[in-house]
Amino acid sequence: MIRTFTQDDVIRYVYNETSEEENKEIEKAMLCDPELQMTFKEIRGIKNRLDEAVKSPSDKVTNNILNYSKTLNLLSNK
Amino acid sequence: MEKYKISDGKLVSLYKNGSEEAFEQLLYRHKSRIFTTIYLIVKDNYVAEDLLQETFIKAIRTIKEGRYNEEGKFLPWILRIAHNLAIDNFRKEKRYPTVILEDGSSVFNTLRFAEDSVESEHVKQDTHAKLRQLIEELPEAQREVLVMRHYMDMSFQDISESTGVSINTALGRMRYALINLRKKMKQYKIAYDQNIYPR
Repeated sequence: MIRTFTQDDVIRYVYNETSEEENKEIEKAMLCDPELQMTFKEIRGIKNRLDEAVKSPSDKVTNNILNYSKTLNLLSNK
Repeated sequence: MEKYKISDGKLVSLYKNGSEEAFEQLLYRHKSRIFTTIYLIVKDNYVAEDLLQETFIKAIRTIKEGRYNEEGKFLPWILRIAHNLAIDNFRKEKRYPTVILEDGSSVFNTLRFAEDSVESEHVKQDTHAKLRQLIEELPEAQREVLVMRHYMDMSFQDISESTGVSINTALGRMRYALINLRKKMKQYKIAYDQNIYPR
């Protein structure tokens, strides 16, 4: 018998929080349930978009941090 | 999460023994994830940059003074520092609200913001900025779980313990956050390709 899965189960699956056993069952359920498959594709799509939305700090800030560390290193070696 | 040849733990050890190159690698490896986490909480680029510096200063001092717990993992540890600083700042700003413009920046930052206009011309960057704005507009409880799960890489169990709600509540908030984002992405015609990515 195929287990019924919720959107929350799919979220756990997409974020790798399901067990090996659950993975097999969810993958099997998705083959027979187009709605579940659509939910999975949508959540996975948003997750990937969120990865792309990562923002970088300016070079100036990055250099400030590096310089702070170097200065501290020099002071502690004196 | 990405896999690296030299582990964070090894880089921290090297840094503790004086290797600035090791620190540089740690910084370049994680700065964007940490910065995004802060930015999505404080919603201001310049405040986020200040807090990023503060986060690393705290981390540097802790490592250099030998107070870093070797058993812990570097990224969750530094993300926790960043998150705490960002939340403190967010609460402070709530008591003394500043005028926030449509793009999420403070009105006092407009002149400096204008200097970034070259970047904002790129369509791709605009889409990413819009998506960040949509995340910023989520209800606080949903945004908190989304940031913790997606950018801080905390498990739902960890989020539940950290926020004092049940795992099901944390999962429910994540579900609503994703549903809301999906609706808004459709509304603003931000594509989320459903087919090309592996899990």
